[in-house]
Amino acid sequence: MYVVGITACPTGIAHTYMAQESLEKELAKRGYEYKVETQGSIGVENELEQEEVDRADMIILCVSIQIENQERFDDKKVFYGDVDECISHPDRVVDKALEFYGLK
Amino acid sequence: MNLKQELKNIQKALLTGCSYMMPLVVAGGISFAISLLGGTATDSGMVVANDFMANVKIIGQAGLFMMVPVMGAYIAYSIAGRPGLTPGFILGYIANNTVGETGVKSGFLGALVLGIIAGYFVKWMKGWKVPTYIKSVMPILIIPLLSTFLIGVVYIYVLALPLGALLNFLVGFLGDLNGTNQILFAVVLGAICEIDMGGPLTKTVTMFTIALISEGIYAPNGMYRVCVGIPPMAIWLSSVVFRNKWTDVDRTAAKSAGIMGVFGLTEGAIPFAIADLKHVLPANILGCIVGSVIACLTGVESPVPHGSFITLPMVTNKIWFCVAIVVGTVVAAVVMGLTKKPVEQIKAKNE
Repeated sequence: MYVVGITACPTGIAHTYMAQESLEKELAKRGYEYKVETQGSIGVENELEQEEVDRADMIILCVSIQIENQERFDDKKVFYGDVDECISHPDRVVDKALEFYGLK
Repeated sequence: MNLKQELKNIQKALLTGCSYMMPLVVAGGISFAISLLGGTATDSGMVVANDFMANVKIIGQAGLFMMVPVMGAYIAYSIAGRPGLTPGFILGYIANNTVGETGVKSGFLGALVLGIIAGYFVKWMKGWKVPTYIKSVMPILIIPLLSTFLIGVVYIYVLALPLGALLNFLVGFLGDLNGTNQILFAVVLGAICEIDMGGPLTKTVTMFTIALISEGIYAPNGMYRVCVGIPPMAIWLSSVVFRNKWTDVDRTAAKSAGIMGVFGLTEGAIPFAIADLKHVLPANILGCIVGSVIACLTGVESPVPHGSFITLPMVTNKIWFCVAIVVGTVVAAVVMGLTKKPVEQIKAKNE
């Protein structure tokens, strides 16, 4: 299972990175392969390449603002999660995503 | 069209606009505040100390002016993608200037509405079925020109007046708040800004108070900025005073939360609040209300979009600013300490 994700919050200094950390931990715990991009106020970090997006089994976007380079996900099935829930209950976010993709 | 989904899209657009606007407010607001250092207060406002400060003021005012078009542009960008930027910037600029024979200005409110209109208009235009030879000139010629021109004309002739009136009403209303209304306002502001500790609701309030800065109203921002540092500092204080209510791990982590509080980062409180929502959150909300009301009654004003002690050089009524923060923090810390269950008790329950 390969999962890519993006986290982004309005201020882009704290929640974005807390969500990334918590999502990565959850994905690691489940033994998935993953890459999580952040779009904080410093800009895009740990950027997802198109080929990574293409080969992902799940795309989890926990964003409360419009992200940059959204076109990478055109014609893709994307699960949108909540940033706050991603911080406090990453397990629920991943479960919902699995359900969304019918992988559960 | 799904209305609920669209409302969510609009909220996302507003947060996006706010997100891109924030650094401009910081650059502009702080430069502006610095330019007033050493100045003299007169009836017609602050007079800067010297020529250099006058130039610093120009930089600050430019930042505070530009934040409005930038917000409009990124609201439109969020809805329509890249082609939304051009009408968003231009229309936001128009909104922040006086237009028409009556010379109305609708400021952030106008930019916000125009950003949304421009966003949907461009999104709609993007869906047009046009011949191939026109398709290539759509994004560089037709969309930017037509959207800006049409919405611009409609704004100047139709929308400017009501939007300007609404802005004036809002600004007048908040400017004239006094007595009970003012306290009620402070209570609501204090409560909302801690309910989700730096989350979307807080950011909405942030946007509101920042928008008022661009209209020259600094009091709501002053009250709000007193609050932002209270929750993490209260957690630190509570962990020091009520040692038996916090685990060793908590108490170590609380130190860094306290430091985050001094620097105005409410987020430091989140891990503690999540761990014990029932007791930590109400205490913090109460502390923030107390801080906000004190700031409100003593006329604390802040022209910078950041809070807590680190902004002390920039705020008015420095002493009351500190008093408001300290009293709010103490109230929150004590309430937290008294309501939280001792650690042993929780452990015993879990075993």
